[in-house]
Amino acid sequence: MNAISSQLKLTIYKCTSQQWLLDKQDLIRERRHDLSLLSEEEYQKIFIFFASVIQTLGEQLKLRQQVIATATVYFKRFYARNSLKCIDPLLLAPTCIFLASKVEEFGVISNSRLITTCQTVIKNKFNYAYLQEFPYRTNHILECEFYLLENLDCCLIVYQPYRPLLQLVQDIGHEEQLLTLAWRVVNDSLRTDVSLLYPPYQIAIGCLQIACVILQKDHKAWFAELNVDIEKIQEIARYIINLFELWKTYDEKKEIQSLLGKMPKPKPAPQR
Amino acid sequence: MDNKLRRYEKIEFLGEGQFATVFKARDIETDNIVAVKKIKIGSRQEAQDGINRTALREIKLLQELHHENLIGLLDAFGHMSNVSLVFDFMDTDLEIIIKENTIILTTANIKSYLLQTLQGLEYLHLNWILHRDLKPNNLLVNSDGILKIGDFGLAKLYGSPSRLMTHQVVTRWYRAPELLFGAKQYGTCIDMWAVGCILGELLLRVPLFPGESDLDQLTKIFGVFGNPTEEIWPGLKTLVDYIEFKPFTPIPLKNIFTAAGDDLLDLLEALLVLNPNKRKTCTQCLQMPFFSNKPAPTLGTKLPLPKSIQKTREAERPSLKRKLLDGVDGGSLSKRLFF
Repeated sequence: MNAISSQLKLTIYKCTSQQWLLDKQDLIRERRHDLSLLSEEEYQKIFIFFASVIQTLGEQLKLRQQVIATATVYFKRFYARNSLKCIDPLLLAPTCIFLASKVEEFGVISNSRLITTCQTVIKNKFNYAYLQEFPYRTNHILECEFYLLENLDCCLIVYQPYRPLLQLVQDIGHEEQLLTLAWRVVNDSLRTDVSLLYPPYQIAIGCLQIACVILQKDHKAWFAELNVDIEKIQEIARYIINLFELWKTYDEKKEIQSLLGKMPKPKPAPQR
Repeated sequence: MDNKLRRYEKIEFLGEGQFATVFKARDIETDNIVAVKKIKIGSRQEAQDGINRTALREIKLLQELHHENLIGLLDAFGHMSNVSLVFDFMDTDLEIIIKENTIILTTANIKSYLLQTLQGLEYLHLNWILHRDLKPNNLLVNSDGILKIGDFGLAKLYGSPSRLMTHQVVTRWYRAPELLFGAKQYGTCIDMWAVGCILGELLLRVPLFPGESDLDQLTKIFGVFGNPTEEIWPGLKTLVDYIEFKPFTPIPLKNIFTAAGDDLLDLLEALLVLNPNKRKTCTQCLQMPFFSNKPAPTLGTKLPLPKSIQKTREAERPSLKRKLLDGVDGGSLSKRLFF
């Protein structure tokens, strides 16, 4: 009997984040408009790109991974309900960071520092995607923040797979290498839809399984004892493996400009 | 946004605090009476910080919490740094009830208030949340005698052992001794101390330890319990702001609360313990004889109300319509799902 998994389940069932567990059909329906202009793969590539933007911004601002992950989930939840033309993702990305850093209470970043960081990051790290400089100012972020809050239905606490992952790895027996890799797979999972579709403890197990396969560690007996829906775990693993497959052939630097060009846009655009 | 502004029709001004102004309003969609808390915009610098952090804290915690004895957040609206939160409307609070000298607080009444406070607080603590600002003024009571813990502006998730927290929390009179000594790592015990002070105040009808400064606060506390020592409170002297006080002789609680029964004194003694680790938890307190002994806690609708509210209670009695509506949509939060 595995005590940990039932404990984790309990924690998850208590949280109202349940409200934000969507199913595949919801996503297909909500994305109908955007997917009439973009293929599913193109749509995913755009989200991979903005997940990297959020990650890079977060790292530049020295935020904890937990804050970065929360910001990324806000971003994904917002567009799970809205078209890309609703708000320019280049504005929503820093807004998600701004809100997440306040919610997670790991020190607040000032708006001016956020804007400066956006300008540097776009100029130095993402110039292959944006030729112009970062066009938004403090006011845009402030205006966008409330809109984001409303679209999140005021659900601000996001449960992440990191904590359950730590508990799971501890249960397997302390394995530094396994934890490091599984942790990175969880980071990668932010570039898929799993955070919208599955509860965090399942994502943690899925990522752990992938890490075991990569490291060729045989923990089959341990996994077999987990009291979880194996089918769900396989689905999660599939999403992440698909991402790895896509990465093999995808050259973001070459493609992203034209993808961003194809993306549905808000009108009127902010003054540049 | 405009729709939201129109949705809540202002009825009257209720009060103004440091961070917010509160209005009584009618939700024209449900015909419910609600309290709209409009967060003040501070300096221009603060306006640059976007949605006020105190408001965000209330939103984020209350969105996750649903308990009969916790204030319910019904809605949030606004624009840029201008935020309003919509709460259950509560007619009065324990501070007003304690001060109203026409109200008699019997043991059964006090038991009811304390039971409701501990039940709400137990739920908070089980969800790893510290309230950090319990005082009579934040224990809200409606005309049905339901008590709800309010004002989550200082509340915080706890449980990461490495994270230091500020000791500048809790209104001074209700602040636990470890906070007054500058403890940066503390737990649910700080809320338990505050409950003890509130219980004392319900009995005495004046604040139990009305300190005029942080030092005076400790003087008043030690004046009753005597000085703490390393024996009764290991680790005491390692607290950053620890200082020696002149020696005090403890006064037995039964000499202060002459009218209180033994079971009530036991509860007080379980809450007001200098060593934070020896203070009982909500769950432990709720199992104490005081709550199972006679008299039974007063039924909510039989609890005394300030005169000004009694009138409204009678005036609203015939209006069954709202009651029925309340019953149907389960506290008006029906769109938030429970599992």
